[in-house]
Amino acid sequence: MNGDPDLEQRYRRVLRLLPRYYRDQWEEDMVAAFLDGWLTGDPDEDSVTMEYDRPTREEIVSVIGLAARLRLGGTGAPRRYFAWGQAVRNAVLGVMLAHAVWGLGELALFARSRHLIGWLPPPVGGFWPELSYAIGYAWIVVFVALLLMDYRTARVLAVLVVGADVASVLHQQLAGTLASPLANWGYVAVIDLAPMLAMAAFHRDAPPVRRLPWLLALPAWYLLVSLPVLWAELSGHDAWVPDVAGRCCILLAVVCLFHAVKVWSGRPGTGVWSLTLLLLAAVTGLYRLISLPTFAQDPHLLMVGLAELLILAIAVATVVPDAVRSQTAATVPLGYQELR
Amino acid sequence: MTGQAFFVLTALADGPRHGYGIVREVVELSQGRVKLKIGSLYGVLDRLSADGLIEPDHEEAHDGRLRRYYRLTAGGRRALAEEADLRAASAHVVRARLGLTGPEAAGAAG
Repeated sequence: MNGDPDLEQRYRRVLRLLPRYYRDQWEEDMVAAFLDGWLTGDPDEDSVTMEYDRPTREEIVSVIGLAARLRLGGTGAPRRYFAWGQAVRNAVLGVMLAHAVWGLGELALFARSRHLIGWLPPPVGGFWPELSYAIGYAWIVVFVALLLMDYRTARVLAVLVVGADVASVLHQQLAGTLASPLANWGYVAVIDLAPMLAMAAFHRDAPPVRRLPWLLALPAWYLLVSLPVLWAELSGHDAWVPDVAGRCCILLAVVCLFHAVKVWSGRPGTGVWSLTLLLLAAVTGLYRLISLPTFAQDPHLLMVGLAELLILAIAVATVVPDAVRSQTAATVPLGYQELR
Repeated sequence: MTGQAFFVLTALADGPRHGYGIVREVVELSQGRVKLKIGSLYGVLDRLSADGLIEPDHEEAHDGRLRRYYRLTAGGRRALAEEADLRAASAHVVRARLGLTGPEAAGAAG
């Protein structure tokens, strides 16, 4: 017998993915059920099994799935896990909203190509540009599907969209037209892949989303931000317009400050929205950070980018104490207590 | 009700079972179509217990480990019967649409 972990210890390591309150309740039972499936009662055979076998990939995936559902909790979950679940769901919706606004812009270009809107520039033709427009439209559908709680459609479509985006970036890289491979692959990872994976938070226990505010946010963002920006760019004032990452930093900073005023004026909520803003700030900050190398040749733009990051960091710092509050007092829901 | 939850409740319909006992019974009931992994099983068990459809029955020592047995509650029995009726009605409609009649078609439902 050497000091290596045996099958039971290996499985217990996998179970560490589960929250502690859940392990306190179920771990021994899960280990017993797991080993029942492996052991035959023959001491020699069981000894070999315990020493050399490992939990199968399917077993590990099932525990990962359970851990995701528990840690990104829904209705009935302990407070801190419910807060994380809600914050991740809100953050995913926030990123999807940003994607959908971009898709709405692509739709406007399409309308222009059909002579429905006269003053917009015509879209560029060809397979890859058209794929890019299709990706934009698809993000709108993903956003709406999430709001309608059609999570399966949203997930399947998101996988297809991210796949198409990866193909598009790969094509540009192979064609040698990718200005900054690091930045472009970074975008795919941060604003496509990560939110797609985080859609795991939209499970059956997830409470319904309040649709109306999110639905109103889509045209509001487009009309109040995207259209004025487009107008400024077309009228030759684009030197004053921050790029997409910069606009997201500033917009999120403004939202953080508004939320901080609400929280500090004595109307604190559950801390979920502060946690949401913290997550969105992490995504947006990373988005800004990985795009900075594209400004390497322009120190002025580099300074502007850093200033946007600083503004975002200061603004988000005002909601951090409230976000921390959402993680306190982890109560155990009914159902778990009854089984103890 | 998901297919997994339906089979877990069915596995407990004729008496209490422990975790791996449920896994084995579900494989048999589903004729090998549903093979629950332990993570999935306890995801289902914890949801069913939170909904009050199952509850712990007793514990038994086996090879130095405690096996916890679960049983259906009255609510679980009722929910299972309703789900079985619903599935039977759906299967009946499908068979009628496909023009399938006779014992071989009835036996294929499930």
